[in-house]
Amino acid sequence: MLLTPSKLLKIVFGVGLFVILCIGGITYKHLGSLSQTSEVVMDTYNLRNELETIISNLKDAELGHRGFLLTNDSLFLEPYQESIDKITNNLNRLDTLIIKNNGQRKNLNQLEIDIAKRFIIFNKSLDIVEDKSALSNELFILLHEGKYKMDRIRDDISVMLDFENKMLLENQKKNEQAIGTTPLFLYGILIITLVLLLVAYAKINRDLKILKDNNEDLEIFKQLTEQAEIINDSSTWVWDIENNTFKFSDNLYRLIGEEPQSFESTLENYMSYVHDDDREILGQQINLMFKEEKFPFINYRVVHKDGTVRCLRGYGQLMDSELGEKFLLGITMDITDDLKNYETIEERNKELERNNKELSAFNYVASHDLQEPLRKIQTFISRLETKEKENISEKGQFYLEKIKSSSARMRMLIEDLLQYSRTNNSDSEFKRTNMNILLENAKQELSDSIEAKNAVVISADLPTMEVVSFQIQQLFINLLSNSLKYSKEGVAPKIEITHQEVSSDDVVEILNKSLFKYHHKITFTDNGIGFDQIYGEKIFDLFNRLHGKSEYSGTGIGLAICKKIVDNHNGVILAEGQPNIGATFTIYLPFLK
Amino acid sequence: MNKEYINIALADDDEDDRFFFTEAFEELKIKNKVTTFKDGIDLMLHLEQESNVLPDLLFLDLNMPKKSGIECLKEIKLNTKFKDLIIAIYSTSSSEEDVEKTFVLGANIYITKPNDFEKLKKVLSEVVTTNWQYHTSGLNKENFLLRL
Repeated sequence: MLLTPSKLLKIVFGVGLFVILCIGGITYKHLGSLSQTSEVVMDTYNLRNELETIISNLKDAELGHRGFLLTNDSLFLEPYQESIDKITNNLNRLDTLIIKNNGQRKNLNQLEIDIAKRFIIFNKSLDIVEDKSALSNELFILLHEGKYKMDRIRDDISVMLDFENKMLLENQKKNEQAIGTTPLFLYGILIITLVLLLVAYAKINRDLKILKDNNEDLEIFKQLTEQAEIINDSSTWVWDIENNTFKFSDNLYRLIGEEPQSFESTLENYMSYVHDDDREILGQQINLMFKEEKFPFINYRVVHKDGTVRCLRGYGQLMDSELGEKFLLGITMDITDDLKNYETIEERNKELERNNKELSAFNYVASHDLQEPLRKIQTFISRLETKEKENISEKGQFYLEKIKSSSARMRMLIEDLLQYSRTNNSDSEFKRTNMNILLENAKQELSDSIEAKNAVVISADLPTMEVVSFQIQQLFINLLSNSLKYSKEGVAPKIEITHQEVSSDDVVEILNKSLFKYHHKITFTDNGIGFDQIYGEKIFDLFNRLHGKSEYSGTGIGLAICKKIVDNHNGVILAEGQPNIGATFTIYLPFLK
Repeated sequence: MNKEYINIALADDDEDDRFFFTEAFEELKIKNKVTTFKDGIDLMLHLEQESNVLPDLLFLDLNMPKKSGIECLKEIKLNTKFKDLIIAIYSTSSSEEDVEKTFVLGANIYITKPNDFEKLKKVLSEVVTTNWQYHTSGLNKENFLLRL
């Protein structure tokens, strides 16, 4: 079970309350027993007092009785009679005092009997004196007996006093035991209560601090939200559905062109800013929202007081509070700029599409319509050469030769350009291909010029890779033909092809932008005329030629195609050259291990 | 081909190409009769006319006004009357798309118009002397496009 702070607090207070109640109960009980004890002490005191009074009264009776016996004067009988009443009263009071005490009751009965007997003897001796017939001897015996009875009474009383003392002592002992531990107990409980209260205080203090921190966070969050709203052109609102009241954030006012909190936040007031054409639809959508409990995005326009029209988008989410109330929490944003941007992008896209169409139309023109007249020119030239050669002067034949080479060059340019634009093809398919086969195909394609130049191509074993095969084949063709074309006069071209797997970390300076970890490194090294390293990058630019047209035929497109193909494969191509020694082209093609 | 001459037809909208074509056949030492049509509609009208003799070999340009070579090819292949007709595509471009399309539609060979008259003669004589029964049975995408 998880103890939440408020639960813990409740428990602490419950325990505290219980402890205090316990202390009250125990104190009450102990005070009760204390007062009981003092009552018992009082009773004992009274009892002792009564018993002593009895003895003194009996002495008075005896004194009066003796005086009478000696003087026969009835004056002495007065105190005697009085003491009889007093003793009776004493005995009654004693009776009430020992009402709950059985042991004393027995003793009291004995005392009463003995006192009664003593008075019988008193009365007898008084009778004798009144008779005057009695002998003094008889009186003497009665006096003896009277003394004996008096001793008995004294014994009785001392028995009662002893008994009472004993009881008092026992009582005291008992109380001492009970009361002795009470202060310690009370003190202990008090300490515990204090500790609990301290714990509770600390807890409350800590919770208060957390609450304060949370409040601070909330305040910061609120400020951030406000700033975010201003920057985002968005706003928030809360709709208390039961009470039909609204809370609009400051920025919602700004979105409709008003100062924050400048009017009462009601639906009617807000609706007055909604564009006339959208008001009805917005109302319907809000109603629908409640009926189906679905809250889609709602787009509508608002009109500022200065006439500016802005497009807003609203979204709501239903929230049930802990108290069972329903709130609609909403976000409204200004999407005017987004819409504008979207329209612009849409327009640009259309423009791009148009451009693309034009480009492909151009491609068609280049591939078909441009080639057609050229083909005819070339065909007619061939007709002239075979049929009319003898009719043309030497100069005419020279011109014809020029036309022929120019049109051949034009054909080459068109074909290379087409090749270059075809390399763009974004929907080309990547397939696992054995590169050795592609190289073999390339060599096959160039077999004529390889043979003509007596070239040697030495190739290492190449890997199988995911590539667009026709493009890689074209890459190989272009690199090989480049080496064949720029070979040294009188030296048989030698082209060496190597392969190596490299980790991208080993050639960071080259592959620092590559996302791939491993690359195939393929190099083409020739013994041709080479080039100055300052052209190492320029060499791949479109239409960039390092040599005059008359020296070496070429369109300046071949290596640009190479670069494009390698780019399509997320690779890197580099050229290193040394004039009159040769050139090395290095290709890095990424692969996954 | 045990007939006296080979009956050859060409549908091409380009006048110069028709001229080269007929001239090339004139120079070839093959007995032939060449008929040319300036577009697809002309060609189809001629083929569908019952009284006309069907050609043995039909050269079909792809890019023609009114009715393109592809349309003609489709129509011809739908009609069983033309099932023995050998169709050679005779086009300026050899775009992969066109080659693929015409191969699938059932053309027998694809020729790119050469830019040299001697080459043209060579190509045409190659096509005319091909043993079509043999060629058709072993036809595949690789030997569909004629390379010389």
